[in-house]
Amino acid sequence: MQHKTRKDGRILISPLVLFLAALLGFPLLVDLIYSLSDVGFENITAPKLSGFGNYAKAISDPEFWQAMWFSLRFGLIAAVLEVTLGLALAIYLSPLLNKRPWLIAFLMLPMMVAPALVGLMYRLILHEFVGPVPYYLLEWFNDFPAFLNHANAFKTLVTIEVLQWTPFALLILYTAYASIPQDILEAASLDGAQGWRRFLAIELPMIAPALGVTFFIRFIDSFRVFDNIYTLVGSGAGGATTSMSIYIYQAFFKVGNIGLAVAASMLLLLASFLVLLLINKLTQRETVA
Amino acid sequence: MKRLTSLLAGAAMFASLGISSALAEVTVLGWPGGPEEAALRKAADTYNATASDADKVKLIFFNRDGFFDKLAADLAAGSKEFDINLLATYAIGRYAPFMDPIELPASAKEAFSDKVLATMQFDGKQYGVPTDLSLHFMYFRKDLTDQLMSDAAWKAKYAEISQKHMGKAMEPKDPDSWTWDDWMATALFFTKEINPDSPTRYGSVLQMKNLLFNMMVWHSTARSMGGDWRDASGKVTVDSPAFRSALELYKKLYDAGASPKDSTTYEYAEANAAFGSGQAASMLQWNAAFGDLDNKEKSPGSAGKIGTVAPPAGTAGRVTHIHGLGLGINKNATNKEGAKKFMDWFATPAAMEIYANAGGSPALNEGLVAKVSGNRPDLVKVGQFAGNYGFVMNGGTSAKALQIYELQAKEFTAYWSGAKSLDDALAATSSGMAELLK
Repeated sequence: MQHKTRKDGRILISPLVLFLAALLGFPLLVDLIYSLSDVGFENITAPKLSGFGNYAKAISDPEFWQAMWFSLRFGLIAAVLEVTLGLALAIYLSPLLNKRPWLIAFLMLPMMVAPALVGLMYRLILHEFVGPVPYYLLEWFNDFPAFLNHANAFKTLVTIEVLQWTPFALLILYTAYASIPQDILEAASLDGAQGWRRFLAIELPMIAPALGVTFFIRFIDSFRVFDNIYTLVGSGAGGATTSMSIYIYQAFFKVGNIGLAVAASMLLLLASFLVLLLINKLTQRETVA
Repeated sequence: MKRLTSLLAGAAMFASLGISSALAEVTVLGWPGGPEEAALRKAADTYNATASDADKVKLIFFNRDGFFDKLAADLAAGSKEFDINLLATYAIGRYAPFMDPIELPASAKEAFSDKVLATMQFDGKQYGVPTDLSLHFMYFRKDLTDQLMSDAAWKAKYAEISQKHMGKAMEPKDPDSWTWDDWMATALFFTKEINPDSPTRYGSVLQMKNLLFNMMVWHSTARSMGGDWRDASGKVTVDSPAFRSALELYKKLYDAGASPKDSTTYEYAEANAAFGSGQAASMLQWNAAFGDLDNKEKSPGSAGKIGTVAPPAGTAGRVTHIHGLGLGINKNATNKEGAKKFMDWFATPAAMEIYANAGGSPALNEGLVAKVSGNRPDLVKVGQFAGNYGFVMNGGTSAKALQIYELQAKEFTAYWSGAKSLDDALAATSSGMAELLK
């Protein structure tokens, strides 16, 4: 009986396996070949196998590590700020959103805008001669900061990312916060737990899994940032705003070194896979404990 | 059954007619959108009116975004979808292995100068017919420079500022005889941070974004000081006094506040917005910007007040970067005969007259430009400047030219923004270029 169930299971899962093999396996195989080849646009149909040179080149390229550092910093800082702000807003707005849940739709609007459009929008908003922000700062304070120069570009980009994606954190964290059972909160109040104490001892532990998931999703998304940065400042003066995605894009399209671009992508894939494995192991250990 | 057979036979005949007609057409892949497309359509319509069916031209267009990368991939894959394709000076070496060299008819020399024809050459061979040419004008506020040359108080202040910032008391000059020092002194004078009485916020607007096209603009400065990418023996020569002086000029102006604070993210559109707002007194910019900047509805701050001259003189004279778009023949073209016929016609003065009148921007010889100047006065200067001052860097049409522009953009913007020293930026550029030009 168990043997038959296993056989049925294999038959039922085979279409999915075939689908994944065709749509993920084949491109992955092609990418693997490209990453081990000396290939550009000129010989894209006939790549020459060249061993692990592209991997060595990527690993020894200071720009690869500069881009990696940029993406890590950007992803971490943006995710921490989004989760913190999202949590604060979820708690602060909770009474209002409980009464008028339709307001959530309006709060979600920023994340409905395409990131590339957000970049273009801020390119206009922050432009000294056509943008409202420098205009009013100049009117009121007779000066304004250089939002996009070498010193401030990173801060401006993080701010824009946070403004666009905090609503996502708010949505998930508000849902988690609203789902805390009322009887637990009432019991805590009767026991004298109020304000910060109730938040730290009761509410925060209960929404901790949602906080973790939100942070993880936002970190991944911000780590692979491309569109808004590229349309707003490009790769930045001296490559200062080159994220990993921009590094790969430039190696592929601007420099025409397809082998290097694909090798960098494969290294990133490998790193993501290792992180996922680690998280999986940690989760399993917690479940067993 | 008989009816079905007849239908099938008829269908097959129609299909074969269609195929042979499609094969006989000359398919041209043009530069999409904008005046170039409109001009090419007009020229193709004129040609088709008299061409035989087998030689008629059909136009196709991609999206502009990533155009040259898509074209490179298509050519490398041996595409037969087009017989004639677009070419650009800075990418010609990349496409040359997949294209046929051409021989222009003698009449091409009546339409174009040798310098303009050279924008479509690689390794001594002609690969295309030049169509649109881009070069640089020094744009300036004529109302302000006129006052500067006549107002005694302004002249005294100008001398004071140039003494303080450049170590020598200077006198204002007519922009058409500016050196880079004159331009710098003027830019400093019209900067509010330096001269609180300046009618403009900035004396200039520099395009310093990490972008290959901004390097082309800056090259007009470097070359006028004697700079080149390589010497005659092929050795990379960017670590030279000329490149240093030209890089330092931009840095000094930016650090002095003579260009907007965010100039390190400025390209064509941002610079035009600054100049068009009336808050910048001068700008080194592409010739294509003139129309919008002189349009009262689009640029009320600058329209009617603009003067344009060739870029200022350096120690090696007065020059402007030029690059052109053009059309050449795909090595895998299915109708090479037809393609050659169209190219021979397209290179004639008559075809270029049609192209120019329909909105294209060819750099034409004096005799021909006189014929279209009533309709296209802007082309007069384009032709003159290209013939008198145009240059292409040694290696500027090589297979790796685009990568070299990208490398320079990254390194030089690092210097301008203060992220790297001049020595480090030039050393990295030299070694990177030597690797690319191997």
